[in-house]
Amino acid sequence: MQLSVKHLLGIRDLTRQDIQLILDTATEFKEVLQRPIKKVPSLRDVTIVNLFYENSTRTRISFELAEKRLSADTINFTASGSSVSKGETLLDTVNNILSMKVDMVVMRHSASGAPHFLAKHIPAAIINAGDGINEHPTQGLLDAFSMRERLGRLEGLKVAIIGDIMHSRVAMSNIYLLKKMGAEVMVAGPPTLIPKYIQEAFDIRVEYNLRKALEWCDVANVLRIQLERQNQVLFSSLREYSLAYGINKRLLDSLNKEVVIMHPGPINRGVELDSDAADSKQSLILQQVENGVAVRMAALYLLSGGRGSMN
Amino acid sequence: MVLLIQQAYITDPSSPFHESRQDILIESGIIKDIQPRIDARADQVIDGKGLHGSPGWVDIFAQFADPGYEYKETLETGAAAAAAGGYTDVFVVPNTKPVIDNKPQTEYIRHKSKGLPVNIYPIGAVSKGAEGKDLAEMYDMRASGAIAFSDGLHPIQSAGLLMKALQYVKAFDGVIIQIPDDKTVGANGLMHEGIVSTRLGLPGKPMMAEELLVARDIKLVRYTESKLHFTGVTSPRSLEYIRRAKEAGLAVTCSVTPYHLFFTDADLQEYDTNLKVYPPLRTATEVSALKKAILDGTIDCIASHHQPHEFDSKVLEFEYAKNGMSGLETTYAALRTAMPEVPESKWVELLSINPRKIFGLEPASLQKGAKASITLFEPDASATIDAKQFKSKSNNSAFNGKTLTGKVRGIVNGVHTSITP
Repeated sequence: MQLSVKHLLGIRDLTRQDIQLILDTATEFKEVLQRPIKKVPSLRDVTIVNLFYENSTRTRISFELAEKRLSADTINFTASGSSVSKGETLLDTVNNILSMKVDMVVMRHSASGAPHFLAKHIPAAIINAGDGINEHPTQGLLDAFSMRERLGRLEGLKVAIIGDIMHSRVAMSNIYLLKKMGAEVMVAGPPTLIPKYIQEAFDIRVEYNLRKALEWCDVANVLRIQLERQNQVLFSSLREYSLAYGINKRLLDSLNKEVVIMHPGPINRGVELDSDAADSKQSLILQQVENGVAVRMAALYLLSGGRGSMN
Repeated sequence: MVLLIQQAYITDPSSPFHESRQDILIESGIIKDIQPRIDARADQVIDGKGLHGSPGWVDIFAQFADPGYEYKETLETGAAAAAAGGYTDVFVVPNTKPVIDNKPQTEYIRHKSKGLPVNIYPIGAVSKGAEGKDLAEMYDMRASGAIAFSDGLHPIQSAGLLMKALQYVKAFDGVIIQIPDDKTVGANGLMHEGIVSTRLGLPGKPMMAEELLVARDIKLVRYTESKLHFTGVTSPRSLEYIRRAKEAGLAVTCSVTPYHLFFTDADLQEYDTNLKVYPPLRTATEVSALKKAILDGTIDCIASHHQPHEFDSKVLEFEYAKNGMSGLETTYAALRTAMPEVPESKWVELLSINPRKIFGLEPASLQKGAKASITLFEPDASATIDAKQFKSKSNNSAFNGKTLTGKVRGIVNGVHTSITP
C-alpha cells in the first residue's frame, strides 16, 4: 500500500484510504514503541532536516524522536522570524540544505502555503509541521488516531472543536480529516474567532455557546488561545474568555454524559482548560502526545517511499 | 517617414470610417489620408488584412517603478511593454521612490519619457509621500504635467483628507483616482474572504472593505461636487452604488482590471503568487456581475493595474509575495478571451474613448488631418502567452502559458511606430 501523495502538505490532499493507511501504520508503530528496543532500521541512510521557522517544542521533539526511532539521520534548523527578515529566502535556505544530500524536509512556517510553495521547487519529500493558519496534518492525524483508539471509530463520531478557530491550523486539519472519515464536526467559540464562511466551506456546525457544544459532542477538542497571534482585538480579556469558554470539571460533571477532552497543547491552564478538567480521566491529552510519535513515524515511513522494513 | 496601412478595418465610433475597410496614409505623424484605396509611395507598408485599427488605447493605472525600483521596470521598458500591448498613452502611479508628489518628480517623468514610443503621464500623489496625511502640491504638479491625482496603491483612508483633496482639484478641473479599499477591514487579508480562503487557510479580506469606501467616497463627491474615478472595482454592490451615483448626475466613473474579469479566487488553489493582486480576485458571481457592468456601461474603462515585479518579489511564500501582476501586454487578449461576446467597438470605447474623455486627453480619431494615434489589433488571432518574451522588465503574469484569443500588432503614435511584422 502506498500513499496517493508525494508530500504530506495537508489533510486536504489526502484520500480516505491515505488517512486509513497512515492510522493503521501508526498502530503498528505504536506497538513497536512498547517494546524494550524501540528503534527500527526503517529509515537507515535517510537524512531528514527539521526546518522550524516558528517556535515549537513538542512538535519538534515529537518529529525528532519519530525520526530517531526510525534510525534516520536528522539535522535541525531553527530560525526566529520569517526567512525574509533573515535576509535569505526560504528557497535558498532549503536548496543549501538539500545540496548536502538531504532526503526529506519537515517544516513549520508562519506563512500559510509555505510548504506548498516549497513542494513546487524542490525534489525532496516534505512534511508540513504546521503552516500559518492553514494546516497541521500530523496533529490532525494524531488527534484522529487518539479518538479512534479511545472510542473505537471515527465514523459518526460527534466532535466539537472549541476555541480560536480562526487562527488554528489544528482546527483545519481536524475538520478536513474528520469530514473525510465520516465524523460530524462542530466548531464553537466566540464569533470573532470563527471564520465567517466556515459553515459553507466545510459543511459543519457552528455554535457560540460552550454548554450547547459540550451537550452535543462526544469529543471536545479544545484549542489553545494563541496569545501570540492576538494582534487584533478579538476578545476583551483572557478572564472574559475563560468565563465564557473555559472548560472545568464542574461544567463537565454537569453534563449528562462523559465527553472526551483533547487539547493539542501547550495548555493555557485556567484559560481554555482548567487543571481539574485537563488532568481528569476524561482527558486524552497525554495519550495524544504519546500517539504523536507513532503517527509521525508512520507519516515519515510512508513518505520515504517505504524503503527498509518495519521490523 | 511615410507609413501606409492597407485595408485595415476601422473600429472608431467617433470616425466617419467606422466599421469600414480603409487604407491609411501617415506622414510625419499625421494622418494624411484615409481612403478605400490609396496608391502612394511609402517607406513602410503594412498589410492590414485581419487587422482592426482604432484610436490609440489609454491605460490609466500602471506602475513603471521608475525612479526607485528600476529593477522592476523603467520608463523605457514600461513604454515598450505598453506599445506591445497596444497602448499609445499610459498614466503611471506615483508609488515610486521618491513618490511623485511634487513638481520636480512630475517633470522627471515628463522629460525622461520624451522620445519614447508611448506618451507617459504621471499621476500626482494626493498626499505628501502618498502617506495619506497632508495634501501634496497638486496645483503645481498639474501645471507641470500631472494628468490626475491619486495615492495609487495606497488608497486614501481619511475621509477628511479626501474631502479636501476633492475640493482642491476643482480649481483646475482635476480628477482623483481611488482603489476603493478600507484598510482597517480585514487588515491582514491576503485574498478575498470566502469559501476558498477558508479552505486554503489564508486570511481573507471581506469584500465589504471595498463597498464601504465606494459608498463613503460617493458621499464625498456629492458634497464636494468634484470628480472621482474608482479603479479596480470588483464588487457588485460597489457597481450598484456607482450606477446610482451616475444616475444622480455625480461625476463618478470607474474602471476594472482585465484579470478581475478573467480569474477567480478558486484559481488560487495552488497558492500562485502571480494571482496575488490588490484588490483580490473575487468569486465567479462577482466576475459575472463585472461582465454585466461592462456591457451595460456602468464600467467606463479598463485599467491594466500593471505591476511588474522581479523574481524575488514573487517566487516566495504567498504571504510575503508582493501584490500585483504585469498586465500591459496581456490586456486585450485577456479581455477578448474572457468576453468573446463583446463587440470590438465596445472595447475601443473602454480602452480609448472613455478614458480620454474622463481625464481630458485630446481625443484621438482616425480622420484625415488628425495626429496619428492608432492601435492595430487582430481580434481573431490567438497566441500562447510566453511571459519570458515580454518587453516589460518583469514577467510576473498568471497568463503565462495560456492560449488566448486576440492579439495586438502594435501602435502608431505620432512619428513613433511600433508594429510587429
